[in-house]
This record gives sequence, C-alpha cells and structure tokens, in this order.
Amino acid sequence: MSTEMDDATPVAVVEPPPAGRERVLDAVGLVLRLFLGAVLIYAGATKIGHPLTSQRAVQAYELLPDGLANTIGLALPFVEVVLGVLLVLGLFTRPAAIAATVLMVAFVIGISQAWARGLTIDCGCFGGGGQIGASETKYPQEIARDVVFALAGVWLWWRPRSLASLDRILFGP
Amino acid sequence: MATPKPPSASDRQAKIQAAQKSQGSGANKIVVATVVVVVAIIAVVGGVVWSQSQKEAATGTSTAVPAGASMGKGYPAFAGVTAAAGAPTVDLYEDFQCPVCGQFEAALGSTFQDLASQGKVKLNYHVLNFLDDKTGAKNSTPAANGAFCAAADGKFQEFHDAAFADQVAEGEDVTDDKLAAWAGTAGITGDALTTWQKCVADGTYTRYVTSVNEAAFKVPGFQGTPTVMINGEMVDLGTIGTPELLTQAIEDATT
Repeated sequence: MSTEMDDATPVAVVEPPPAGRERVLDAVGLVLRLFLGAVLIYAGATKIGHPLTSQRAVQAYELLPDGLANTIGLALPFVEVVLGVLLVLGLFTRPAAIAATVLMVAFVIGISQAWARGLTIDCGCFGGGGQIGASETKYPQEIARDVVFALAGVWLWWRPRSLASLDRILFGP
Repeated sequence: MATPKPPSASDRQAKIQAAQKSQGSGANKIVVATVVVVVAIIAVVGGVVWSQSQKEAATGTSTAVPAGASMGKGYPAFAGVTAAAGAPTVDLYEDFQCPVCGQFEAALGSTFQDLASQGKVKLNYHVLNFLDDKTGAKNSTPAANGAFCAAADGKFQEFHDAAFADQVAEGEDVTDDKLAAWAGTAGITGDALTTWQKCVADGTYTRYVTSVNEAAFKVPGFQGTPTVMINGEMVDLGTIGTPELLTQAIEDATT
C-alpha cells in the first residue's frame, strides 16, 4: 500500500481530462493548423520549378531592389513549404504560426501598396504574378483572402494547442 | 513481520529523478528545435541554390547577341533596308509558344514585313521565352535560338515565319526534328545548316533571349505577348486588327 502511494506522489501530474470547451478549442486549432498548413504548402509548391516567373512576380510589386526581389523570389516558395509542413505536423506550432502570420501581413502590405500606387499586378500568391490589365486586378479579394489566412495564424499564435500535434506527442500536453 | 521498510533517502532521490525525466515525455525541446531549424535552413538554402542552378541552366552563359542587337534590346529586322525619313519604329513582342502570337502573325505578319521591307517602318522583334518558365515546356527558348541562329545566315525572317506557320502547341516541347523542319522551310542548307545545328545545340542565344524577356517585363504596363509598340507607345491590338487598319496606323505615325 504505502509503496504504491509513494510511487504516485512525486509524479502527481496526471492531467485531468480536458473540459469540453478545451477539447473543442483544441479541435478548432487542429482544423486551422491543417488549413493554413495546406494553403502554405500549395502556395509554395505551385511556385517551385518556375524560378523566373516567381522572381518576376516579386519584382512586379516594385518594392525591392531587383537583387533582393530575385532572392526572395527563389526563397519564398521553400519558406512557405517549410512553414506549411510544420503547421500540418503541429511541430513548434506557435513559432510557425507567428512566422506565417508575419508573412501574410507582409503580403497584405505588399498588395495594398501596389493597389494604392496604381500598379496593375497579379499578386502571384499561388504562382503566376506580374503585370496584368487594370480590369483584371483582384486586389480586394486577394487582400481578404490573405487576411483570413493571417487570422488563422493569429489564432494559432494565441492558442497553439491543438489535437493530434507533434508538439503534444513529443513534449506532452 | 512483513512490515515494508521505509524507503531510504537514496531510493526517493532515484524516484524523483525518474519522475522528472518522464515529465519531459522523452524529447528534449532544445534538441528537437535545433534539428528542425537546421533542416529548415537546409531546405530553404538548398532550394534557393537548386532554383538558381535551374535558372542558370535555362538562361545559358553565352554572351552572343544577334547582329544589330544587344542584351535586352530587340532584333532589328530588314537591317539592309534604309527606312524612309520619318518612318516610325515598331517594336513587336512575341513568344514562339504563344498561340495568340500565331494568330497575330497569320493576320498581320506579312503586312508588318511588307511595311518594313519598303522602308515604311523600322521593325524590331523582341523574341521572348517567358512561356517556357510558365508552362515548363522546352518550346519558346529552342525556337528563339533557332530563329537567331538562322539570323546568322540571314534567314531570321524565314525561320520566324516557318515557326509561326507550323506552331507547336503551348505547353508542348519543340523537338529537334521540328526545329530542323523549320530550318528546312527557311532554306538553311549545306555548311550553314551545320553551323545552325551547332548554334541551336549550344543554345547560343538563350541568354540574349532571356535578357530581352526580362527587359520586356520591366516596361510599364507590359503584360505579355503579343505586344506592339509604335514609336514606343503600346498599341491596343484592336485598333490595328486588319492589314488596312495597321497600314493606316503606320501612316498616321509617320512624321
């Protein structure tokens, strides 16, 4: 008897089962993680293998010197895929979510400044990009879409806990 | 008799240590974080290096430019013709892979050439290859090389016309056989054909074409091909849609 007691005392960190509300929030976290992760993986994958198009898409924002724009054009697709994979796996969810949110906010700023300056470009968010006709621009839709992605990022930043995450499996609840 | 011995201090210590270990659930966060960061950096840096090499392979290293042109600049066609005083400059932006360019050439190509051969316009071809990067096909670049390799034999126009008349569909590769067929139609034979073949195999003008392509997309408002500029002004293609309209527009632009 007493030995059993003794075994349990120092280890007394057995989690109470999460309350119903907590479990729902964890499920929401899982859905948002998979959503944002899948979006990022898709966005990166469609650009990989099209280095010139990708660089031209960044140049079209007319925000950065060509050298830097070209480097970003080459690196961004891989950054997106890496962040997407981390989110899908739920590994270091908070840092990945912070990075994804910052990225989305940067995209919103980039698109907004292009719109405000009267450039007529495609955001190149999912491949393509570059100058297009004035009537073909979709700035409000592109910004709204990235804001939705940013909000998913903010949620995971604020509450990175979610179901079926590597964070939980590796580091405990 | 069977009273359990009170656990000794060292026993307790061992148990506490075991408990502390299992609280970390086995994984050391710092170690995992380091591994993830290293893998992420390798993925991104490796990706950039790979993309850069892919881009360089697509761009080529040869510094050759066709006669009368320079890096980033269009190719002046009908260089032997002396343009009339006040004749406007026409810049034609085309990609051999672009289906609309094929239609455009079928409708207006011969009119442009007539005007140029009569000295009524100074005609520059800006041959682009952006559709290769977009579609992943090996089409625009080999075709453009074929045309500028033909230019070395004075057959640019003939090759250009053959390639558009017998255009390969967007997204499909231009095969060596297809290139050879166009060269045949253009009338490249004998030693000139041998030189042309080596030029095409080497991708001699790939870098030039890529430079022209890059320059084109820096032109404000430039969206793709075909694009026509008369005296540097982008023209709405609807306003020059027929040979008559085009001829009229050129007359209007003549000073």
